[in-house]
Amino acid sequence: MSPRHDPVIEERLEEERLRRQRDRARILALLLGAFVVLMFFITIAKTGMNW
Amino acid sequence: MPAIELTNPAALPADWRDILALTKPRVMYLVVFTGLCGLLVAPVTIPPVLGFTAILCIALGAGACGALNQWYEADLDAKMRRTAKRPLPAGRMDRQSALHFGVGLSFFSIILMGLATNWLAAMLLAASILFYVFIYTMWLKPRTAQNIVIGGAAGAFPPLIGWVAATGHVSALPLILFAIIFLWTPPHFWALSLFVRSDYAAAGIPMLPVVAGTTATRRQIFFYSLPMAAAALAPWLLGLSGPVYGGSAAILSLVFIVLAARVLSNPSTEPADMGPEKKLFAYSVFYLFAIFTVLVADAWLAR
Repeated sequence: MSPRHDPVIEERLEEERLRRQRDRARILALLLGAFVVLMFFITIAKTGMNW
Repeated sequence: MPAIELTNPAALPADWRDILALTKPRVMYLVVFTGLCGLLVAPVTIPPVLGFTAILCIALGAGACGALNQWYEADLDAKMRRTAKRPLPAGRMDRQSALHFGVGLSFFSIILMGLATNWLAAMLLAASILFYVFIYTMWLKPRTAQNIVIGGAAGAFPPLIGWVAATGHVSALPLILFAIIFLWTPPHFWALSLFVRSDYAAAGIPMLPVVAGTTATRRQIFFYSLPMAAAALAPWLLGLSGPVYGGSAAILSLVFIVLAARVLSNPSTEPADMGPEKKLFAYSVFYLFAIFTVLVADAWLAR
């Protein structure tokens, strides 16, 4: 049986894939939230400067 | 539990740490710092959130350059000890993802810069990214020993971008700041390339020590440090900064020239005996930080 088709390795690969996807989704959500907040403050600042 | 080889890029999405590593965060601090100094030395004040966004865009632009550089040089990186553990040569990420990430980050940083500050700053940011990727990485670096001389312009953009983000126009002082970094880059990188020469030779990159030898490189380091010192003194000589900056720049530049002279007189070709080169490399980083810090301090004292 090749290592790629070993059920234990398959299971661990799937766990690792899910862990990475979860981490990336969390970070992306945080970055998007930060971007929305940043755009809000940029708009306020530019409105105040009458640009 | 047996260890699993997780190096098949097709099997797994890249870890976020590897995506972050693509941006070369450890070399980004100098770009961010010089960009911030360009912004702070400008004779106008902009709302802090816009200043923060300008610096963020410079950092993201630098990160995009790092990602695109690693995408293009993945094969070369695999041949050098210093870079072989990066995500692409180590096989932890596929090249296409790095390309998409780099291009996406470039567009994002340029558009955000234009929306938050002004489109001249955004154009300069775009020019710096294009210059770094196409002129330096793809064209000059693999072809000529002068790659660092012309390519240094890419790293010289941040203070200019910072200034333009604040003022909306280009003037003499940010151009001098550009010139300081432009002339500082060759001695800085050549000092490093002297003691990692074998790495560059193994990868077939025609860095000056590989092509012209150590003696010629040491001579060039010394000769470049002279116009660099002149550029560092120019803001004071032209009346664009005060005596605090002038005196500090003179002392800092004098030390740089003395260290470059020590490099010039070192005959060694063995990295283990290249103490003066390592000292100059370390000092060159401190020098740039110090020059820009004093320039900002001088400008703020005069207000």
